[in-house]
Parts: sequence; C-alpha cells; structure tokens
Amino acid sequence: MTLSLIILYVLTLIYLSMAERFRNHTTILAIQGLLLFGIAMLRLHSFHPVEMSFIIVETLVFKAIVIPAILMHVIRKTKINRIHSSSSQFGSLAMSLAALIASCTITVYMADQNTDMIFFGVALYALLSGLILIVMRKRIFAHLIGFLVIENGVFLFSMAIGVELPMLINLAIMLDILISILILGMFLRRMDNDIHTDETDALTSIKD
Amino acid sequence: MLTYIIISVLLAVAPLIVRSERSTNIIAATFFMVQVAAIAAIFHFDLIDSTLLSIFTADTTAVVFHILMTCVLGFALLHSSSYLKAEGISRRSYKAYYTILMLLAIAVTLVYYSNNLAMTWVFLEATTICSAGIIYHREFRQSLEATWKYIFVCSTGIAMAYLGILLLSTVATEGSLAYSDLSNVIAEGNPLYLKVAFLFIVVGYSCKMEIFPLYTVGVDANYAAPAPASAFISTALVNAGFVSILRIYMLYSSTGEVFEWARHVLILIGVLSLAVGAMFLRRTNNYKRFLSYSTVENMGIVAIGMGIGGLALWAAVFHVICHTFVKSSMFFQVGIVRHIYDSYSINRIGNYMNINHIGAIGIIIGTLVLLAFPPSPLFITEIMIFSEIIAVESWWLLVLMLLLMCMVLYAIWSRTLRLSYHSNQDELHLSAVNRRLSYSAAVLLLVAIALGLWQPEFLTDAIDNIVNLG
Repeated sequence: MTLSLIILYVLTLIYLSMAERFRNHTTILAIQGLLLFGIAMLRLHSFHPVEMSFIIVETLVFKAIVIPAILMHVIRKTKINRIHSSSSQFGSLAMSLAALIASCTITVYMADQNTDMIFFGVALYALLSGLILIVMRKRIFAHLIGFLVIENGVFLFSMAIGVELPMLINLAIMLDILISILILGMFLRRMDNDIHTDETDALTSIKD
Repeated sequence: MLTYIIISVLLAVAPLIVRSERSTNIIAATFFMVQVAAIAAIFHFDLIDSTLLSIFTADTTAVVFHILMTCVLGFALLHSSSYLKAEGISRRSYKAYYTILMLLAIAVTLVYYSNNLAMTWVFLEATTICSAGIIYHREFRQSLEATWKYIFVCSTGIAMAYLGILLLSTVATEGSLAYSDLSNVIAEGNPLYLKVAFLFIVVGYSCKMEIFPLYTVGVDANYAAPAPASAFISTALVNAGFVSILRIYMLYSSTGEVFEWARHVLILIGVLSLAVGAMFLRRTNNYKRFLSYSTVENMGIVAIGMGIGGLALWAAVFHVICHTFVKSSMFFQVGIVRHIYDSYSINRIGNYMNINHIGAIGIIIGTLVLLAFPPSPLFITEIMIFSEIIAVESWWLLVLMLLLMCMVLYAIWSRTLRLSYHSNQDELHLSAVNRRLSYSAAVLLLVAIALGLWQPEFLTDAIDNIVNLG
C-alpha cells in the first residue's frame, strides 16, 4: 500500500513538470498533501493520539486544504492562469526525468542501511523537481509552487531517515512554514497590484 | 526566560495599540531596558551556562552576542525615530516599524540562546518573517522586489538547512537535537551524511550571515530597509547567522576527517565571499549596498578564520564583535547622509566634509577602522588570521587574500573620499542636519577603536570560552 502511494507521488511530480495551468499545479499540491497523509498514517507503528492529530493537522489540514486554498485565492485575485507560453513542456519533462534518474543514482550511492531507500530517492526527486520549477519557470507563482514541492520533499525526507523530532519543534516548524506561505502569497498579490508583474524578468530594478 | 519572552513580546506589540509616536518611543525605550535587565539578571543570578525552558542555554556565546545586539538596538531605536520623522511617514507605519524591529530583536536573541539545532532553525526562519516587514517598510518598487527575494531565497535556503538538520539527526539519540547531546554522538555518524548535512546547513544559513552563496538577499535587504534597521540587520542578524554556523562548527570539531573537510568548505566560502565583496565594492553606486558588500567581505574573512582554526578562530570571533560596532556606526552615519542629500548615490553626492564635518570625520575614521588600519581592532584580527595562515603554510590563500584585500582597500577608500571631498551634484536638504546623531553614531566607533587599543580581560576570557580555549 505504501509503495502504491509513493508511486502515485512520483507520478504527481512528473505531471507537475508538464502541467501548464496554475490551478492544476495547486490541485496536484493538494493531492500530494493527501498522499503524504496516507503515507505518514501507514508508517505509524502504533496508535498515538497526539502524533496522529499532528499528522492530520500537518498533512491533511495544512498541506491538502489550507495551503492549496491560499494558492487558489491568490490565483483568483491576481488572475494568473498558466505558466509562460514560451516554456517548453518537453524540455521540462526531460529535465524532470533526468532528475529522477539522478535521484536514483544518488540514493544508491548515499543511502545507508538505516535509511529507507525508496523514500530517500523520492524525497530527493521532489527536492530536485522543486528546484527545477524555480529555475526553469519565469512566473513568480511557479516559484511558490516549487518552494512547496521542496517542503513536501523535506517532509518525505524526514520519513526516509525515520526521524521523530519532539512535538514542540514539529509544531514550530509547521507554523513557520505556514506563515512563510501566507506572507509570500500576500507579497505576490502586492507585486501584481503595485508593479503589475508576475514574472521574475521584471524583478531587476535592484542591481549594481 | 519565559518572563523575558512574554514581556518582550508584549512590549513589541504594544505600539500597535497606543495612539502617539511619543508613546511608541517610550515603549521602545522600555523594551531596550528589558534587554539590559535580562542581561543584568543573567549575571546577578549567576545563570551563565544554565539551561532555560529546556531549549535555551545562557552560554557565553549567547550572552556576548545578546550584549552586542542590545548595544546596536539602543542606537537603532534612537536613530529610527529621527529617520522616520524625516521621512514623514504615517503614524500607523511608524508604530508598525517599531513593532517589527522589536520582534526581530526578540527572534535574533532567541537564535543566540537556542541550545537545540532545530530551534535555532525555527528562530532563524522567524527572523526572515520579521525582517520582511522591515525591508518592505518604505513601500516602494525596489523594497517590494527586495522583500519578495528575501523571503523566497531565505525560505528556500532555510528549507535546505532543514534537510541538513534532518541528516544530522540520524546520529541523534532519542531524537534529541540539543547541541550538547549531539556532540557526544556525532563522531559515530555516517561521514557522507555529515558532510552533506554541513554543506546544506552552511549554504542555508549563508543568507543570514551574508556570505557566499546566498549573500545577495542580505545586500538587497540592507538596500531597501531604512538605514537604522539596515544597521541592525547587517550586524545583529548577521551575528545570528554567524552564531548558528559557529555552533555547527563546534559540533563538528570532534568528527576528525569530516571536520577537516568542513574547514576546507569554510575557507572556500570565505575566499568566494571576499572575492564577491572586492568585485562589487568597486561596482556599486549606492552607499548602503556598498556597506553591505563590505559586510560580505568581512564575513568572508571570518569564514576563512573559522576554516583555518586555532588562533584564527579566536580572531574570527573577535572580528565579528568589532565588526558589529564599526558597521553599525557606519550605517547610522550613512543614514544621516541620506537625511542631508536624500540620496545614497555614490557618483552624485559629495562635499560632505563642509556640510557635516562631524559626520564626515566619523565616516572617514570608520572607513579606516573597517580597512584595518591601526589602532583598528580589525588590524589585530586580520594579523592573527594571517599568522595562522602562514603557520599552516597555506601560501596560495595568503596571496589570494592579500590581493583581494588590496582591491577592497582601494574601492572603499576611494569611494569614501569621494563623499567627503568631491563636488556635490545633488540637491541639499541642509535643514535636516542633526549633528547629535552623528556624535551618537561615533560612540560605537569609539568603542571599536578602544577594543583595538585594549582588549579587556573579561572579553578575552569570554572569547576563549566561546572557542573552547579556556
């Protein structure tokens, strides 16, 4: 079951590299939140009400509902629709598949006996996918999506190495990320309102 | 500690509910007094090295940097009032500025005191959020751009650092990420994981310490923020990045071969930062960006000192302490320059010696101190770093550093002289000259010069303690 969810997660990342509409990107992020919820629940060794509640809040509430809702709100307000028309879908897909191969290679080289190799590889692939989105896409909104894909990759990574951080720390990390997303969303709207741009090429007024 | 945090947070948000600027100033002064009282309480109740609320430790590093932060904060609050009044901003913006600056000060303080790898990360991320409010404060196009870049790059960088923390946590026993617990078991960790973790953490935190590779967002942030806030960001916040990296460095000191590798990484980062500083100090046409690149250059020297180790590490810590006084003084002076010219343009403004000779003398002496001319304390630190480099026979590093520092010297000196003596091409706002502010900024510079002439025993003992030489 866990393996099926992980394979689905990889498929969402591949689809994300090809998707053009930002609404689709947001939906994929919501699906990733649901998948992460399922994976985290299946990996729970025993019934811990506090731990379970935390997983529900972090994955189901934040990653699958709250953050996609914030993104949809930004899309509605800024009326941004799709990635830049000049972007090549084939190029992005090729890059994404290259990242997948690189992730597998690095995993074989790096992972030790205490690490779950499948989780490790997929987490690495998620990180690279996020970075590719940030580097390859011109629209600022795509960068925000890339950042969230990286955050999901980090979540998977923590499961790969089986780390259980204290609840207080987990809570603080989760709130920090949520506030960052809120602020990034707010500034994205301000940029759209004040300087009428949603492309990184326009962000060049500060230079030496 | 809890009382300190609660009182500080309440005071920080209090300006939002008061009506006048005067009440805001009183609250800010009270906030400053709370910081002083907190430091006094640590000494009075002998709380040094004691654990507070299980995630904070008042060790020497934390206390020294808290004292430095409080010094800069006092001057930043004082200069901010004049700066904001001259800007003619609304009452709401005035109050919001003070609230955010005080919240940033709290987040920075908690970074210093965190005894836990993950909590250091959490509070560093909190500084990103608070800094964003200050960078955007002037609400012009460039500040919006700088704010977006700052939040985005810092958040992505810090997410990378979190990956490093996760990799480091593989060695943790029972999930404890306290530095003291990790130091006992880190030597048993997978060397490859430890190396990758170090790389991720240093790269992630480089946006705070303003070193290569993520230094750019710090430079943009200093450019967009009001000058007194830039003084705070370029010193207290940079020190938070330094403390975070220093704690990781000390943690790795028992890892043998991995530590050697980590030191080489720091030397490489240091040299690249120094090169970036040398290149852009000559290129930029804005005095605030100019000072920011000087921070990049100085933090590069600090990273090299850490990479060399031994006495150079001691010098690196002393360098950061002295840099705090010099750089904050320079930013406050440049804030007054803007007051007068309504510009930071290097190519257009000049004749400052005749307009505000106190300010001009402050800037010239500050530049000399920054360039490490005796009796600058930076002269001592740089000589110590050079002697350690010679001791380890790293000649290529010595030659490269000397070459880059010559470029820095030429760039900084020629541009400071331009401000003081070249003819001015911009409109003047002479009514705004406030010499008392120039004098107050010079106080910080005098402290730095005093440290160059005489290093008190308590300070040298404290640095010995920080670098574990005691």
